[in-house]
Amino acid sequence: MIITRSWLQEFIDLEGVSNEKLYETFNSIGLEVDSINEIKIADKVVVGKILSCEKHPDADKLNVCQIDVGSGIKQIVCGASNVVDAEYVAVATIGAVLPGNFKIKHAKLRGVESDGMVCASSELGLPDMGKGIMILDSSIGELEVGREFGSYDKVADTIIELELTANRGDCLSVYGVARDLSSALDIEMKQIEYKQEEKIKLGIARVAEIHTNGKIDADLSYKLATVDSISGSFLVDLRLAMVDVEAKDRLSSLLAYATHTTGVILRAYDSTCFTNEEDKIKVTPTSKAKGITEIIANEKICSVVGVNQSEESMATQNSKGLLIEASYINPDTLVEAVSNTKLKTDELYYKTSRGSNNELKFGLALFAHLMDSYAEFSCYEGSLDVALKREKHRVVVDAKEVSSIIGMEVSIGKIVTVLQKLGFEISKVSEEVVSVLVPIFRHDIKNIQDITEEIVRIIGINNIEAKPFVFAEKARLNDVTSRYKAKKEFRNRAVGVGYFENVSYVFSDKTSLQKYGFEVTKDELELANPIAEELNTLRSTLIVNLLNAVKRNVSYSKKSIPLFEIGAIFTPTRKQSDVISFIFSGQSESESVVNAGKPSTIDFATFTQKVGAVIGAFELEPCSYNNALLHPYQSANVIVDGRVCGFISKLHPTVQEEYGIPVTFIAELDLDALLPKHINATPISKFQGVYKDLSVVIDKSMGYYEVAKVLNSLDLDMLKDIYPVDIYEDDKLGDKKSLTVRFFIQSMEKTLEDRDIEMVMEQIMTVLKNECKAELR
Amino acid sequence: MKELEDKIIQANSLESLEKVRVELFGKKGILAGEFAKMKDVPGPEKRAFAQGLNENKAKLQASFDARYEALKVEEIERVLKSEAIDVSLYGTVAQKGALHPVMETMDKIIDYFVALNFSVESGPMVEDDFHNFEALNLPKYHPARDMQDTFYFKDGGLLRTHTSPVQIRTMLETKPPIRMIAPGTVFRRDFDVTHTPMFHQVEGLVVDEKGKVSFANLKSILTDFLQYMFGDVDVRFRPSFFPFTEPSAEVDISCIFCEGKGCRICSHTGWLEVLGCGIVDPNVFKAVGYEDVSGYAFGLGVERFAMLMHKIPDLRSLFEGDIRLLEQFR
Repeated sequence: MIITRSWLQEFIDLEGVSNEKLYETFNSIGLEVDSINEIKIADKVVVGKILSCEKHPDADKLNVCQIDVGSGIKQIVCGASNVVDAEYVAVATIGAVLPGNFKIKHAKLRGVESDGMVCASSELGLPDMGKGIMILDSSIGELEVGREFGSYDKVADTIIELELTANRGDCLSVYGVARDLSSALDIEMKQIEYKQEEKIKLGIARVAEIHTNGKIDADLSYKLATVDSISGSFLVDLRLAMVDVEAKDRLSSLLAYATHTTGVILRAYDSTCFTNEEDKIKVTPTSKAKGITEIIANEKICSVVGVNQSEESMATQNSKGLLIEASYINPDTLVEAVSNTKLKTDELYYKTSRGSNNELKFGLALFAHLMDSYAEFSCYEGSLDVALKREKHRVVVDAKEVSSIIGMEVSIGKIVTVLQKLGFEISKVSEEVVSVLVPIFRHDIKNIQDITEEIVRIIGINNIEAKPFVFAEKARLNDVTSRYKAKKEFRNRAVGVGYFENVSYVFSDKTSLQKYGFEVTKDELELANPIAEELNTLRSTLIVNLLNAVKRNVSYSKKSIPLFEIGAIFTPTRKQSDVISFIFSGQSESESVVNAGKPSTIDFATFTQKVGAVIGAFELEPCSYNNALLHPYQSANVIVDGRVCGFISKLHPTVQEEYGIPVTFIAELDLDALLPKHINATPISKFQGVYKDLSVVIDKSMGYYEVAKVLNSLDLDMLKDIYPVDIYEDDKLGDKKSLTVRFFIQSMEKTLEDRDIEMVMEQIMTVLKNECKAELR
Repeated sequence: MKELEDKIIQANSLESLEKVRVELFGKKGILAGEFAKMKDVPGPEKRAFAQGLNENKAKLQASFDARYEALKVEEIERVLKSEAIDVSLYGTVAQKGALHPVMETMDKIIDYFVALNFSVESGPMVEDDFHNFEALNLPKYHPARDMQDTFYFKDGGLLRTHTSPVQIRTMLETKPPIRMIAPGTVFRRDFDVTHTPMFHQVEGLVVDEKGKVSFANLKSILTDFLQYMFGDVDVRFRPSFFPFTEPSAEVDISCIFCEGKGCRICSHTGWLEVLGCGIVDPNVFKAVGYEDVSGYAFGLGVERFAMLMHKIPDLRSLFEGDIRLLEQFR
């Protein structure tokens, strides 16, 4: 919503209120100021009167004007074609400095002397008013030749753009803003009555009639008039340009001006549309559905109240007969109806859907007054009306309740004063309680908290003293908090081993996911309105997003790219869970003297170490996951506490090539499986233990995990630890390989004797022989 | 004697000094030889001879010890020198990643509220109309729904447009008093220089008996919170409108870039808008079946906080895993 200071001045006296004060007040009452633009017109730009205007002898497009600028008559050459229609204009005289440091000097244009410039609006820093120079008229005040143009308040105005919240439809007019301001600044509104003369001494009912059809839920008021030669008004055009409202002709300018001023929704119809066979004007508002009222004439829909108007029925500046309509409809009813019917809406809908002004006569009066001033306008007496009896909403307001919501004592007297200024009607119930009738234009106010908001707005939040809230304490460290802390721990550890935290969109590209064999959201549960093709589904893995991040980093010449992300993924039925995913691409560490500038490329062992440093101990088994990102021979299931919780793998070379990235390793793990668990300590032996190595020859195809399974099944008290330390293959061994496993043997009860150790090793060898067909090397 | 002392002094390594030691003090050494002469010395002179010999031995021993100490120091110095490296070469080898600035900012926010005994709550990203809109006093066709461009699914589900549905879920699952925050990922269908389709919010909610929770309480905690986050800033409350709170306010801090003087970042206003808040609307309590309660709620965008706190110029860069940005936060 854009307003100007001089426009507000028509309703409220702002004398003595600085622009800074206005800015502060608007912000403090919840009408946020987006921008304030104080227009300054350069000095030595004056009102001039064109005495004569002749074609330039040597240039078709130029005119040579003799202009009285007060200090004398100047010859000025002007290039604008509309100068021929002008009498009064703004003239930049010699010495004026226009915006852009444009200095006006004596000039010779195609051999003709020129002493100044006739100005267009944009040349003076005013909003663009269209082609040509400004043609002034007395709408900005009496035109005195030679007077500084900037001394007209309505020209050197202040343009204020307010950002309104959705509930404040009442402030979508200059009048509405002034009313809110009046309460905040404690300045009375001016009493305004627009003068209009009903020149046709004939009641409207003699030539026109209204017949409603069905239960109408809009208020309507019609006036009928004849009109001729609408002239422009400089002030109307200037202000509409200032508030960025476009109108297609002079009539619509005046309509838009009246609506912007009063907030009343106004439409003008060419009255011939409504003339029936009996040469009478017949208006038939017809209820189509709740909230939908069609205005029908001669069986044609001319408009839908609050929604739109048909092109044919619209009056133009050439129309001779006007049927002028003011309307109001409750926005809640209207918005629901429009959403259900999907009707096409026009520019007025923004106002009607947020609540327009229901003082229809006020809007009509301003419009008629403008028409009287700027056209040959003759109005019939009276109007045709459909007026609903609208019950005003009643709220009982208890000063104690208002005070307790705010947390500060507010007296009933103060509450009453604030509400009265805002247009509420008050009646007393008891000492501390009043009954409040809410004005129709504040349809957003429904209960005591809405009322409290009004009080807070006007007394100012900054005047409320802050008070800490006192709690009855109980600990609130719940599961979600612990989970958050665990996540934070993982993140800190990941950073400690060199990973960078990535945050990517929860979306992914469905085709990519499918191409790489990941599950995708079922079609019937899919996003209906994705924002972009590559973000058209919920992700079922983070790896694809991480690959894109790696690709970007490669393009930024990064050589070592370790990233991790903790985030949500979704199943085909949109079940959400958290995973932690790692990606490591390129060099395993940064280049330095340690590696002579040639760090090794990331490999399975290093990557696995760096994942383990974050998530803790795990076991690896051959991979049972099935997606195209995995390397078939360098991928594994990650097993934590006996459960498969994710995979770790080299990126498949084909995919690596597709992305154009160096050797890359990936891992994705179910976060829930990794959350810290409760641990009970086991007793520690006081006796010395021994390490024993055993090298056995087994089938090349046999994985260590199979050997480990067999060894773990032994369940010997003295066998405390088992881990592989070496693997050896050569031609002599053929399709066999040698595996060295280290054992730690220790007793809880005594110092070990050779016999004890031998016994353990024998049992180990026996199971290995039997279960793994292993032989001693 | 002088000759013997010179031997000690001239030894230039621990090895040669050891040789001198054997020559002088050894079993078959010079001193031993001198002492052996004792038996040939006549009785009355014996005493003086022995005294002289002992004095000389003590002198020699003292110069030997001094020489030994000196050579030992030299030796250690030599070893140390041989181990010298250019330490400055290794300043760049440390490897550490970095937390994402948005996540780190979220951590900082959570820390504050956990310290004030707020519980942390969560909810699903895929929501329904009831939790995301209806229960929050945003009935269908409410014009304020325009403010929140929503991602919908074909079955009518939607991606939550704010973390407020977590309030609703928590209120439905527990009983007052409630003191919670809901940090989380939210979605709006908007993509330009200042909007990404996904971002993060932290929502706060306090509910207690009717008459207990007031706007003054809200002012108190948010002023303290914003000064914890941004340091010594002025905090200003402006009335605003949110469907789920009434009265509502937007909260500004004095611009941290120009200290309130007015600059490009604060659009020359001297103020930066950082969060929204208000007293919970009675319709929200009605939707969850609460009676005779009062409460306040607030919500903030984590990206905005992170960008302001760390002067990050481009919102979209936060979602690109760009190590050039991330490594600045090591």
